[in-house]
Amino acid sequence: MSLRGHHKVTTAVVQTARLLVVRFGRQWCAVPSQGVRGVLTPQEAGRAGRVTFVGVTYDDVDLAGRLGAALDVSNPDMRVVLYSNGQTHGAVRVEEVIGMIEVERTECRPLPSHFQQEERIWISGTTIYRDQLVLILSPDWVLGELGEIVGYHALSSS
Amino acid sequence: MLRAARQQDQTVITKRAWNVVVFSVGGKKLAARTEDVGGVGPWIDPVPVPSRTPFVGAMLKREKEVMPVYDLATRLSREPEGDQLLCLVARHVDGPMAICIDGVIPSLHNVDIAQIAPSKRLDLETLGSFTDEGQEIDIVALQRLGRSRQDNLRS
Repeated sequence: MSLRGHHKVTTAVVQTARLLVVRFGRQWCAVPSQGVRGVLTPQEAGRAGRVTFVGVTYDDVDLAGRLGAALDVSNPDMRVVLYSNGQTHGAVRVEEVIGMIEVERTECRPLPSHFQQEERIWISGTTIYRDQLVLILSPDWVLGELGEIVGYHALSSS
Repeated sequence: MLRAARQQDQTVITKRAWNVVVFSVGGKKLAARTEDVGGVGPWIDPVPVPSRTPFVGAMLKREKEVMPVYDLATRLSREPEGDQLLCLVARHVDGPMAICIDGVIPSLHNVDIAQIAPSKRLDLETLGSFTDEGQEIDIVALQRLGRSRQDNLRS
């Protein structure tokens, strides 16, 4: 191989993860921030489940239901997070947007090995923010791309 | 040689009895070997986690430690009793695991091995059972709690 054709590749190891932290009742969850396309108030998003924003239609995603959390729609901090993985676009109603955070990879822990089934794919890991346990969710699961949707309460006692 | 024999005798003597912690879940008395218990403290409301693993559907944070919760009460079809519930930390093979128990302070017992009989129940991982004040108390195998249930589900 000639020197001219040789490309010097520098691999930068990403030491931090950027996450959007949201709250459903007592549950704090996070998703990678690169999928966030917007955060709207319920008034801006409208009453219908589906939201069209900048020419893109975001389907209603009942993440609260999947987490087994009751969404308090009267909460003034409620927001609609527009999220996309490039192929699927979802509008996720959350009780509160806590904020965008940057955490060290070392501060992100895998789900304890006691959890042995599909939840290992749904939840990428956990971290601690403001003394709260935060579940880091898989974007594909958030967008409903990982199979059937079943509520938490129906699962844990089965 | 004599010294070795004496040590062997002592080992046999120490193994003749088990130290167990007796606690209760929904009024049902259970026991666990003391070495399988990481501690007992006040119960903290756990965070639900979407899960398909039977009886493992929440986590809690105690100071800097985060651990999964094993819902032993639901497995036994009971409800924890008491105003101030307690958290028993199990030394599970996969790592510490929290179990909600009744708000009755657990007690320590020394049980002669001769008093421990194989447990009759097949629905819970146990190391055996013993009788105390006319009541049969199962010794829960905290280290492998939930394992046989998951193995059954897989097979």
